[in-house]
Amino acid sequence: MFERLLRNRVLSLLLVAGGALAVLGLLAPGFLTAATLGSVWSSALVLLLLSLGLLPVLLTRNIDVSGGSMLGLSAAVLGLSLNAGLGLAPSIALGLLTGLGCGLLNGLLVVGLGVPSIVATLGTLGLYRGLMLIATGGRWIENLPQDLKALAARGALGISPLGLATIALAAGLALALATRRGQWVAAVGDNREAARHLGLPVRRIEALAFGWSGLCAAAAGLVYAAQIGFIPNQAGTGTELRAIAALVLGGVSLLGGSGTVAGAVVGVVFLTAVDTALVFLRVPAYWNDLIAGAVLLGVLLLDGRVRLALAARDRAARLRHGHAGRDGAR
Amino acid sequence: MILAELQGITKSYAGVPVLRGVDFAVRTGEIHALLGGNGAGKSTLMKILSGLVAPTAGQVLIGGRRLLSSQPQAAHASGLYLVPQETHLFAHRTVLENVAMGMPLPPRAYAARVAELARGLGVDLPLGARGATLEVADRQIVEILRGLLREARVLVFDEPTSALTPHEAGALFDRMRALREAGVGQVFISHKLHELRAVSDRITVLRDGMVVLSGPMARFSDESILAAMSPGLAAGAATRSVPPGGTGEALRLDGVSGEGFSDVSLALAPGEVLGLAGVVGAGRTELAETLVGLRPLAAGTVRLAGAPRPAAWSPRRAAEAGLVLLAEDRQRHGLFLEAANAVNLSSLMVHRLPLLLRPRREASRFEEYRRSLGIRCTGPWQAVGRLSGGNQQKVLLAKCLAVGPRVLILDEPTRGVDAAARQDIYGLIERLAASGTAVLLISSDFDEIVRLSHRIAVMAGGRLAGELPAGASPESIAALAFGAATAGRGVAAHV
Repeated sequence: MFERLLRNRVLSLLLVAGGALAVLGLLAPGFLTAATLGSVWSSALVLLLLSLGLLPVLLTRNIDVSGGSMLGLSAAVLGLSLNAGLGLAPSIALGLLTGLGCGLLNGLLVVGLGVPSIVATLGTLGLYRGLMLIATGGRWIENLPQDLKALAARGALGISPLGLATIALAAGLALALATRRGQWVAAVGDNREAARHLGLPVRRIEALAFGWSGLCAAAAGLVYAAQIGFIPNQAGTGTELRAIAALVLGGVSLLGGSGTVAGAVVGVVFLTAVDTALVFLRVPAYWNDLIAGAVLLGVLLLDGRVRLALAARDRAARLRHGHAGRDGAR
Repeated sequence: MILAELQGITKSYAGVPVLRGVDFAVRTGEIHALLGGNGAGKSTLMKILSGLVAPTAGQVLIGGRRLLSSQPQAAHASGLYLVPQETHLFAHRTVLENVAMGMPLPPRAYAARVAELARGLGVDLPLGARGATLEVADRQIVEILRGLLREARVLVFDEPTSALTPHEAGALFDRMRALREAGVGQVFISHKLHELRAVSDRITVLRDGMVVLSGPMARFSDESILAAMSPGLAAGAATRSVPPGGTGEALRLDGVSGEGFSDVSLALAPGEVLGLAGVVGAGRTELAETLVGLRPLAAGTVRLAGAPRPAAWSPRRAAEAGLVLLAEDRQRHGLFLEAANAVNLSSLMVHRLPLLLRPRREASRFEEYRRSLGIRCTGPWQAVGRLSGGNQQKVLLAKCLAVGPRVLILDEPTRGVDAAARQDIYGLIERLAASGTAVLLISSDFDEIVRLSHRIAVMAGGRLAGELPAGASPESIAALAFGAATAGRGVAAHV
């Protein structure tokens, strides 16, 4: 039972997170309330959307570090369209299309031109941010209409319409990855050569993953704009690295082939809960990065140790099985 | 009826021709043997047939229709599947998912069929085990199951038996015969002529990228096939090596135990070749890896030239003490595939070299071994991953020799190596022994063990099952290797 818990990264992280929150609840009465948890969820939304976008890219053993810039550029397109008098729905559509286009361009660079994904997306990280600055003239976009902000307002069950949409998106992605074709995404990153031999459309899968990442970054941009009501010219900067950290925390492998939506959700919520708790404990804000970084390292080191120990046990069991099972079968 | 056909196939890599105008056909209900020496182009030809590699010139016809796109999907859609030489598994997926990935239904729909096919090969493979946990032989079984499950009309097997036991290989041949009855056209690549003869109807021999012999199998003698493959080879076969002249002990193990084996005692004299036979999983690789410090030593003593092995041990210290292991799986453990030949050669002795490497010195060192071992490549700076299997193996051997070993452990030194390179390697082993190097030869090929060894030890189920003198028959080795495996199961069950 205990071992099964250790083997399941999502469950064990959930347990660590739960324990940490319980301790905080004791230290700072009033932390464990629906209101705080609701605020953790809403401040997790942007990071969560970006992470859900990045997940398939990591599964295919690629990386996308342009997420923050795609977020900024599509948010800017959304904001400029709204302020130019375009309706809410067409503006959102334009913003999402911008993200999709950015993502597909990343895909084209990686799949079509064979640029390593880290290099391609480092390039577009600058490119998309630059486009955003040119489009806005470097100014913040303010005075966004109320109907946009209403999308981020708490509704039924204390969850905003955008929060509900994010839940639906996460569930949809989890279902899609579980299908026969969805399994191909992780298969490509697990062993590209094997995928090619079995006739999987490797290049199309990789390109689609990048497109999806762009689309999710645009959705994150929409949430960002709706939540804070204006768009600074550095919107989303650095979020891509936090998304990578959250995914790694949630057990998604940077070497491809392994990772789940549940892991992504838990990783994001955990990172955000740490931030919120620090605010609650009145730790000065400039401590945040240091503590979040230390927590990330601590969890990963501990997890690495546990996984090494489990692998050693598996190996020993396999050797025993090897002598009992394989030879015995002959 | 011709199911698949290659017409005038030419392929060059960076201007170097690998295939030159090759014609090849597979017919209904026929097993077509494809044989060829080191880098003759067999694997490349089959990758072209299955759409993995695009030809420089020529065309691929499957079912009479020209294969236009060089994509495996197109070949699959026309009913052709290649079981590749190198195993490609999804480490994070289960065995079942590994086999059924890419099929039209979800994996679980194929569970019963895959289990049945595995049983048909005489293998008890846990379908829920993850790819990363499988050993070489099971990985090869998975590749074969992928091919069988797809029920292709043309099935290509590229060295499917290199890691299999004789039992499993025999079961595979039965399966291939059954497929032939069902009208499936098959291509069978192997370096073992007796295997090819056992099942094949037709043979094609490639040499230097050209067809040098083709026709019904029965029409050719073994000698004529070997002669076509590499002229001047057949003469030097089967020379018995001389008994050891050296005295003393180069290596001595007393009651050595570790992960996967226990209580092994052996002694090895300078100039002696000790064959260590057994089936896959007998614990021989684990023993070898323990001796060079890749795995912890649980109990027992190891002496090198009389001196006990120090507690702090590593492959580098072992190499300094004159003990070197040639790894079983050259792709995974032996070579840096992206690195140049010369870099691979000095990789085991790099700590002895000056801080700033001298490229010309590296290159000339490689050229020495290239000449003496007959390594075929474009030069010292070619990536070793671009060489054929036999030439890769020679580079790996050269790497081990470069440190000047006094005890050399060879783990399956001729796996996936063609007949000509195999002869070269045999000759080299004999020369090494004659010059006083002690050789521990691990091999699952019992003919090879008999051919080279002065003394034969057999391992089964992690223990030493017995020792045989030079010239023991392969059958007597097999009796120990397989017979004791059942006894070993009883022991292991109590661990």
